[in-house]
Amino acid sequence: MNVFESILLALDAVRSQKLRSGLTLLSIGIGVFGIISATSIMGAFQLAVNGQLADLGENSLLIQRTPSINFGTNWAKMRRRKNITYQQAKEFRDRVSTTSLIAISNTAPGYIIKAGQESSNPDVSLIGIDDLYTVVNAVSISSGRSITEAEVNTSRPVAIIGQDIVTALFPNIDPIGQLITIKSQKFVVIGVLQPKGGVLGQSQDNRVLIPITVFNKYYTWEWDASVDIAVKALNKQMLPVTLDESTGIMRSLRSVKPWQENNFEIDTNDALTGQFSGFTTALLVVAWISGLGALVAAGIGIMNMMLVSVKERTREIGVRKALGARKRWIVRQFLIESIALCQLGGLTGMIGGIAISWGITMLLRSFNMPTITYVFPTGTVVFSVVICTLIGIGFGLYPAWRAANLDPIEALRYE
Amino acid sequence: MSKAIIDIEHLVKRYEMGDEEVYALRDVSLTIGDNEYVAIMGPSGSGKSTLMNILGCLDTPTSGKYLFNGANVAEMDDDDLASIRNREIGFVFQTFNLLPRATSLKNVELPLVYAGVSAEERTRRASEALARVQLADRMSHKPNELSGGQRQRVAIARAIVTAPCIILADEPTGNLDTKTGQDIMSLFSDLWKAGNTVILVTHEEDVAQHARRIIRLRDGKIESDTQNHHA
Repeated sequence: MNVFESILLALDAVRSQKLRSGLTLLSIGIGVFGIISATSIMGAFQLAVNGQLADLGENSLLIQRTPSINFGTNWAKMRRRKNITYQQAKEFRDRVSTTSLIAISNTAPGYIIKAGQESSNPDVSLIGIDDLYTVVNAVSISSGRSITEAEVNTSRPVAIIGQDIVTALFPNIDPIGQLITIKSQKFVVIGVLQPKGGVLGQSQDNRVLIPITVFNKYYTWEWDASVDIAVKALNKQMLPVTLDESTGIMRSLRSVKPWQENNFEIDTNDALTGQFSGFTTALLVVAWISGLGALVAAGIGIMNMMLVSVKERTREIGVRKALGARKRWIVRQFLIESIALCQLGGLTGMIGGIAISWGITMLLRSFNMPTITYVFPTGTVVFSVVICTLIGIGFGLYPAWRAANLDPIEALRYE
Repeated sequence: MSKAIIDIEHLVKRYEMGDEEVYALRDVSLTIGDNEYVAIMGPSGSGKSTLMNILGCLDTPTSGKYLFNGANVAEMDDDDLASIRNREIGFVFQTFNLLPRATSLKNVELPLVYAGVSAEERTRRASEALARVQLADRMSHKPNELSGGQRQRVAIARAIVTAPCIILADEPTGNLDTKTGQDIMSLFSDLWKAGNTVILVTHEEDVAQHARRIIRLRDGKIESDTQNHHA
């Protein structure tokens, strides 16, 4: 039997019963939609987080006023937290004894960098750093040099620029020694960052590093004056020790009473990954269970549709049997039809799911998660096709079996 | 007499209706040879439909022997029966039973699809069969674009496309006007003259008169079996 002909028959069945088939296809669509959108949105988050964590490194701690990624946190409480001031961070750095690799930094997004007539994209991340930043965060300089302790202490107007900025401003000349302007302040380029490439389109090269002292002077406001502290333990074994020491020092610096909880975030790579994947896993489980539930409901709908289709085409089945169609050919014809119906619904859900999750990713990106990137859920798409096929077979088998076992004489007589 | 295609001995078909046992056929014996033109007649309830269903391998007898080309049909499974229907029997129904969404050509190709014939060969043979029933110019028409007589001729083309041993027609003119009915009957005569074996099932005397042999059934038994010299 011709597969193509069976697919046409399936489309015919959809056309002749628009409402009923519409609703059935919709429920398959919703199931697939739920699974696809949840999986790909979570995938995008996961990638965004992993991108940040990769910067941190596995022996490192990150101390921040508020968590860099959070879901369901108490925002009111977060807002009441006092800034980690540069002064406080320096004191912290001086007191830590288990490691000397401590870098203080602060980031502000959305700057335009200019040089002469040329200007960069308006989305450059400006990062205020100290002399240890490149070491602690494993940032490589491809030409020129990093910022020195003296330059930080004396607030020198020097800058290290990313490859994207080089391409935009200095396509044909050596950028080292050139002047750039960031919001009316002039800086001398002293280094160029090693091109890192993007994590799926999100460029890591679109940043400019300047001394944190300069950053604090011109590019912070009170609401984002809180700095980040990256602490690199000597090795993996020392990480818990450094974590304990850092927590203690921060609590004392920020006057946290023994019965109070931390008023800052201190996270290791593992802790961040753990927190995050716990959350995403829970969400995924919910999405999958409801998605699969919708798919089972849809399967029952498909079965009903197929039973009606078998009944409506009783005579046709009789004719086919009289002309020599074997049972398994009739079964195959109806199975192909039911699989085609499921795939049609699945396709609708897939397109919807991909569109919605892409939209949400782009929305988050334009608001507060610049590092998020859309992840095309290839695995889930494949899974959806497979599950739609299985549903088509599982719920189409009984109607198909009924059709194949019709008595040809009765079927031919059917009006 | 030529070689027997159908050889039936002591055929019985019994139905159970609730507690009652109903005999549709009681001890029917009959032989039909190659290139015969037979009409099976009888009033409703005579068992002629049951006999036709058994002859057409759509049904199996309760007891008795049915040899089709020497093979015992009573012992066959569903797939064997499907295969005999496909290759050896061409059905023509009162209500045509064409697939409404398929063109004439596709309808005629259908038995060849089940016979596993390649697409190219199918189209060639189906076109030939349609040409034999004078419908070469209606190949891409769907049933609802054809007259009743044309539909029945498509059905006849579908019946002969596999070059079957017998053509089994069940009241083939029942849904047609007299003139069209006569056209269809002369088409059957032509097929018979060309060497086909034709079995008609009808309750209409003038339709039966086209056949060369008339078998009359009554109450599940053969009442008479005569050669028809009028035709």
